[in-house]
Amino acid sequence: MPSLAHFLHILAETKGLFLNALLLTLKLTVVSILIGIVIGLFFALLKISKFKIAGFISDTYVYLVRGTPLIVQIFILYFGLSGIFLLPDFWAASLALALHNGAYIAEIFRGTIQSVDKGQMEAGRSLGMTKALTLRRIILPQAFRRALPPLGNQFIIGLKDSSLAAFISMNELFNVATTLGSNNFDEMTYLLIVAVYYLVLVALMTFVVSRIEKSLAVSDR
Amino acid sequence: MDAKEMIKIDNLNKSFGDLHVLKNINMTVYDSDVVCLVGASGSGKSTLLRCLNFLEKKDSGKIIIGEREIIPGTHNLNKVRQKVGMVFQHFNLFPHKTVLENIIEAPTMVKKIPKDQAIAEAKVLLSKVGLEDKANVYPSKLSGGQKQRVAIARALAMEPDIMLFDEPTSALDPELVGEVLTTMKELAEEGMTMVVVTHEMGFAKEVADWIVYMNEGKIVELGKPEEFFNHPKEERTKEFLRTTMLK
Repeated sequence: MPSLAHFLHILAETKGLFLNALLLTLKLTVVSILIGIVIGLFFALLKISKFKIAGFISDTYVYLVRGTPLIVQIFILYFGLSGIFLLPDFWAASLALALHNGAYIAEIFRGTIQSVDKGQMEAGRSLGMTKALTLRRIILPQAFRRALPPLGNQFIIGLKDSSLAAFISMNELFNVATTLGSNNFDEMTYLLIVAVYYLVLVALMTFVVSRIEKSLAVSDR
Repeated sequence: MDAKEMIKIDNLNKSFGDLHVLKNINMTVYDSDVVCLVGASGSGKSTLLRCLNFLEKKDSGKIIIGEREIIPGTHNLNKVRQKVGMVFQHFNLFPHKTVLENIIEAPTMVKKIPKDQAIAEAKVLLSKVGLEDKANVYPSKLSGGQKQRVAIARALAMEPDIMLFDEPTSALDPELVGEVLTTMKELAEEGMTMVVVTHEMGFAKEVADWIVYMNEGKIVELGKPEEFFNHPKEERTKEFLRTTMLK
């Protein structure tokens, strides 16, 4: 084990090197989560639609994505598709992460949409609102609010999963840590440093999600 | 009758699976009438009410609202529903919106009324139901009686020709029933056409123009309140009144 003094010394010395990696990790995470939310909402709506085929498409998507490892998905987008078109590494990683998170987020949204009392839809319809309008104005805002705690959880998983982008040579946190560690024959120190970076990011993310939760909780019953 | 027919139901049938809940229902509601649907739980009265704004799909028969027979798929039900307000047993207020936002939601989003105007109209409605001071409060902060009065104001905001009430006081604590019934009585006095599913026999006796007693999916007896309560014709009606009045 490295001594604390050594650990702190290396931590301070390498902060410039890790800063760029941290920014890339953040970019990967934020982009993939935002796209993942859109994908998740889309497949959740397909799933609750009255058309059986839409539900089937949604089920298939969720099954394929949840049933295969993320690293396989990243490699398919980056290496597998390279014969047809070459995705830049950032987009291969972001899209794979987005498609992956999207499947889990779809399940989160489906659950919270269905948890909204059916009287809410009836109330909207009884006022002459269309189904789509009631969904958008009445059901989804309530479903989003309920989705926040599990979404926060998914965001944390997404952040940590972004480390798999290292395997298509993206210089995000994990890649930088392992490279520096092996170059300096000091793996443990660098792995502990990268663990600290992830812990700080997760703490920040948890804080932001809980702030959003609180600001939306004004009307909770 | 020279009064205008607002709702005409002709040979309405409805089943849930094997359960035949509405059997050959025929009924006419005239302009400004208050019709109370009474009967035991499971007699089909709520289902009948829900058929009137098409939250429940009929199996056969005709439903005429105003002058036209309404055929789902052919007519725009959203347009029909704008003219037929509904108040639910469990209020169904939108919990993420304030009282005022609940009321202006449909006028601004469906009728595209300018927000300022919708707010002004909502405030008039709120003072009518005695809740002008609750405009910016969320529903979770209201009592059951207040929630139901907001729900009534919300339905009225669409300026309906007909108001449907589905057991509006059944979910309320006994001491809160009065305020909701008072609001409904005022509405009736203004000439609103109302169909009310209720267990409140006192309200039915005092406010209704017609009482419709349903049992096992059929209309057993239909009459003016004084006849219905004092001289019921059918044996089953007498039995029903004996058991409900004993409470």
